[in-house]
Amino acid sequence: MPKLSPLKRMFPGVWRCENCVEMLFVRGSGNCVQCETPLRKSNFRVQLFEDPTVDKEVEIRKKVLKIYNKRDFDFPSLREYNDYLERVEDVVSNLTNNIDVENTKLQMEQYQRENRDLIQKNKVKLTREQEEVEELLLLEKQGNEQRRLELLQEEQRQLQAKRKNKQALLDELEHSQLPATMLLAQHKVRAAKLETQIEQQKQAVKPTSLFSTGINMRQTVSLQPPPRIEEVLYQYKPVHVETYGPPVPELELLSRLGYLNHVRAAMPQDTAGGYTSALACHRAIQDAFSGLFPLKR
Amino acid sequence: MKLNIEGLLVYFPYDYIYPEQYSYMLELKRTLDARGHGVLEMPSGTGKTISLLSLIVAYQKASPLEVTKLIYCSRTVPEIEKVVEELRKLMEYYSKQTGESNNFMALALSSRKNLCIHPEVSALRFGKEVDGKCHTLTASYIRAQRHSDPDVPVCRFYEDFDAVGRQVPLPAGIYNLDDLKDFGRRKGWCPYYLARYSLLHANIVVYSYHYLLDPKIADLVSKELAKKSVVVFDEAHNIDNVCIDSMSVNITRRTLDRCQGNVDTLHNAIQKIKETDAEKLKMEYRRLVEGLKEANVARETDVYLANPVLPDEILKEAVPGTIRTAEHFVGFLKRFLEYLKSRLRVHHVVQESTPQFLKDIFDKVCIDRKPLRFCSERLQSLLRTLEIADIADFSAVTLISNFATLVSTYSQGFTIIIEPFEDRTPTIANPVLHFSCMDPSIAIKPVFQRFQSVIITSGTLSPLDIYPRILDFRPVTMASFTMTLARTCLCPLIVGRGNDQVALSSKFETREDFAVIRNYGNLLLEMSAIVPDGIVAFFTSYVYMENIVASWYEQGILENIQRNKLIFIETPDAAETSMALEKYQEACENGRGAILLSVARGKVSEGIDFVHHFGRAVIMFGVPYVYTQSRILKARLEYLRDQFQIRENDFLTFDAMRHAAQCVGRVIRGKTDYGIMIFADKRYARADKRGKLPRWIQEHINDGSLNLTVDETVQLSKHFLRQMAQPFRQEDQLGLSLLTLEQLESEEMLKKISQIAHQT
Repeated sequence: MPKLSPLKRMFPGVWRCENCVEMLFVRGSGNCVQCETPLRKSNFRVQLFEDPTVDKEVEIRKKVLKIYNKRDFDFPSLREYNDYLERVEDVVSNLTNNIDVENTKLQMEQYQRENRDLIQKNKVKLTREQEEVEELLLLEKQGNEQRRLELLQEEQRQLQAKRKNKQALLDELEHSQLPATMLLAQHKVRAAKLETQIEQQKQAVKPTSLFSTGINMRQTVSLQPPPRIEEVLYQYKPVHVETYGPPVPELELLSRLGYLNHVRAAMPQDTAGGYTSALACHRAIQDAFSGLFPLKR
Repeated sequence: MKLNIEGLLVYFPYDYIYPEQYSYMLELKRTLDARGHGVLEMPSGTGKTISLLSLIVAYQKASPLEVTKLIYCSRTVPEIEKVVEELRKLMEYYSKQTGESNNFMALALSSRKNLCIHPEVSALRFGKEVDGKCHTLTASYIRAQRHSDPDVPVCRFYEDFDAVGRQVPLPAGIYNLDDLKDFGRRKGWCPYYLARYSLLHANIVVYSYHYLLDPKIADLVSKELAKKSVVVFDEAHNIDNVCIDSMSVNITRRTLDRCQGNVDTLHNAIQKIKETDAEKLKMEYRRLVEGLKEANVARETDVYLANPVLPDEILKEAVPGTIRTAEHFVGFLKRFLEYLKSRLRVHHVVQESTPQFLKDIFDKVCIDRKPLRFCSERLQSLLRTLEIADIADFSAVTLISNFATLVSTYSQGFTIIIEPFEDRTPTIANPVLHFSCMDPSIAIKPVFQRFQSVIITSGTLSPLDIYPRILDFRPVTMASFTMTLARTCLCPLIVGRGNDQVALSSKFETREDFAVIRNYGNLLLEMSAIVPDGIVAFFTSYVYMENIVASWYEQGILENIQRNKLIFIETPDAAETSMALEKYQEACENGRGAILLSVARGKVSEGIDFVHHFGRAVIMFGVPYVYTQSRILKARLEYLRDQFQIRENDFLTFDAMRHAAQCVGRVIRGKTDYGIMIFADKRYARADKRGKLPRWIQEHINDGSLNLTVDETVQLSKHFLRQMAQPFRQEDQLGLSLLTLEQLESEEMLKKISQIAHQT
């Protein structure tokens, strides 16, 4: 008995096993054995799914989506895009379930004629969601590659460091005057230090998820202009503090009014830092003058 | 006793207090003051629960506007009951001291199975059955049908509750599950729905982890809990695994077949409803066109806890046109299902990331990412519209739709592994699609974001710093407390060699080694001769235990052990195990003494306490590493390395050590208790393993107790047991590890206490 091979079938509804297809259509096309309709070999496909209607639907869907390939940015609003998607769904389900096939086909053709340019244009474009997925896949690939390299390098480096350490020990044992136990102890300490160093380095490696511009790598960049925010111009208003006391003389007037006569003069070191005795004096006077009057109700 | 904790008056229902309890409350108060999260480790048996409760209740009373609610999450029903009993004690003390009646409301919540009082429904055995049956009696449209047709059965308890129960709030008091049931019976109200309704205005809620962490349940139960709540996760050393489990999905061929049935039912139901009541479908359609605005408004006004299965983007948009009508959606499900079936027909193991999966599904069956993302929400809407009574029946399709949503929402943190057969049985085809979550922070993120303070606490949380890393949050306090002891009542010993100097280890290479097995047997034999009452022995896995016990039997070691003590064995079967436990305890009570052979990560190691004579020694045979060949684990380790910079080995050791600590911690359940902890593997002596044990165990491991032989172990144990057997009264503890109020307030003691907390 010949080995069973996966069933192939042609749309709609002719079933052959793979060997038969090879046998019957050696020249690429031939007539059906039962009903003499001309059939082509290239139209036979392996069935992917358990439910044949799903196979058929996917087939139709792929064809339909080639024509109905508008993207969400072709529509003024999300609502209209969703309505469009639903129409596409209707077309697909009509064709699969053989409802009103003629009309639907006509409708499709009409759509194709009307939107020829857009269809051509969108053929190369992916939807935004797919773009995102592609981007993620790319990132993943890069990340994996990078990690693999890093790991390799790291291992190499560790191996080298260890080898160097061992060699150093041997050299020392050969040349040094110190007793061997001491050297061994030293070596042990050094090895431990090396370990911790490697450990720390490992901890320090952080993955980058940002571009140098600060944009998140996983984000799709929107090319729309940023929304304009209308704001009122800032206007400076002088601060008025109610001190409930007599008015405090201006900072500049303090020395003329004689307030500074009783205050320690500023040292040269102080003035270098921008300090003047008037400052302290002014604060003290502010303190003293405030809160002297009763509260005005 | 009334305590003054940094200016907060705390009522503590006991006359004496352990110094570490005081210190614990101090840390806790600082965490609450800072409105941040905390990680606190305190040894089991030192009164963690009562310290938590009395401090948080005091805080609530002092500033009722700052902290409105305490949500206490525990793991099992008995633990929940224990917490409620402690709380009851505390509240009685309050009313005795202040003389006024108590206006606090606290309640425990559990599943319908534990709370149902309907005579027929509560008789069902499984939780799922109870839920399903309850749903058929209480769903809104069933009750609507009853208006026209009085023969439709409904639950009278729910009816009564719905009629009057909501107007009158549950009177203040403490309710455990039985109290709720009693109250329900008296009033004729459904206790389950009453409890769920009362959650909202209760001061304290005690329930299981899943009510917060499992997105499906949290969405139903906990989503309206107030922001200003304090959440406590008790016994939280396994919290990362709970988080991961709640987000992972496993799909088998059986699931898909059942799902196929579900989809067909949906299809028929849609056809039927179209003939009879087309208006309903149209209504749903119109609602979907408008989008899920309602839910969005609620989230924006911050009424609800975020649901990780319902990502934000969904709420801002309307359902995409491809799955808007019911027929299209069913067609969509069919295609998705067929795709999954075709994926399950693989002959070799496949592992891929979510973007790869999305690309493949688009290429094969033209399913976009967006409708996938809305799948879960769309299905819920359809089920509601079709008025399907028994939701439990539709678990398969719900599972698949949740999977669809998750896979399209998260591009990182998940991996898809398809295995055509189990590792152990490579000839039997049993394909499984594991959609496994690798990032525990995804499930717990909404909790950290929403609630003002989240406290993670357990007896064994070492090393503390790993939890914030794997759960991805910033704690304001991290502290580990030691146990102050009047006498050293725990004796950790690391046995590294047998009497014949053969190194003891459960590592893979020496697993079959007869010398190692014999030495393990000798260890158990010798210990059984000198230790009174109960001994608990833990193995690393069931397979390992079977091997060892079989060869002990052949070598005649078992027979010798049985001269000293009876032997009981834990099995994967829960009923058998609880039987063994019961008999074990009986044997200990009789003074005959017994040995329980059990498995780390099993039921015994997690939830069973061996107080006093039920456990005088515990022996940990080997290091309980998790099965490292599992692909899911490998993927997770890789993820941890790449995302959190945690090395594989570090995590594996951490995981093994936390389970070892859990196992040995079973014997010490208080300060008057005593027990020997034997770590029988030479690898425990290494600094990286030892350093990961909790501080309260580490403290007592000195250089003299490392790498012992069996003989030395026996000598040390004998000495220890003789010391412990001396009479030990409460007075001996007073002033050292047990304090009265005066002692607590002395200058010297306060200084000492400040050293107990070990900050990291």
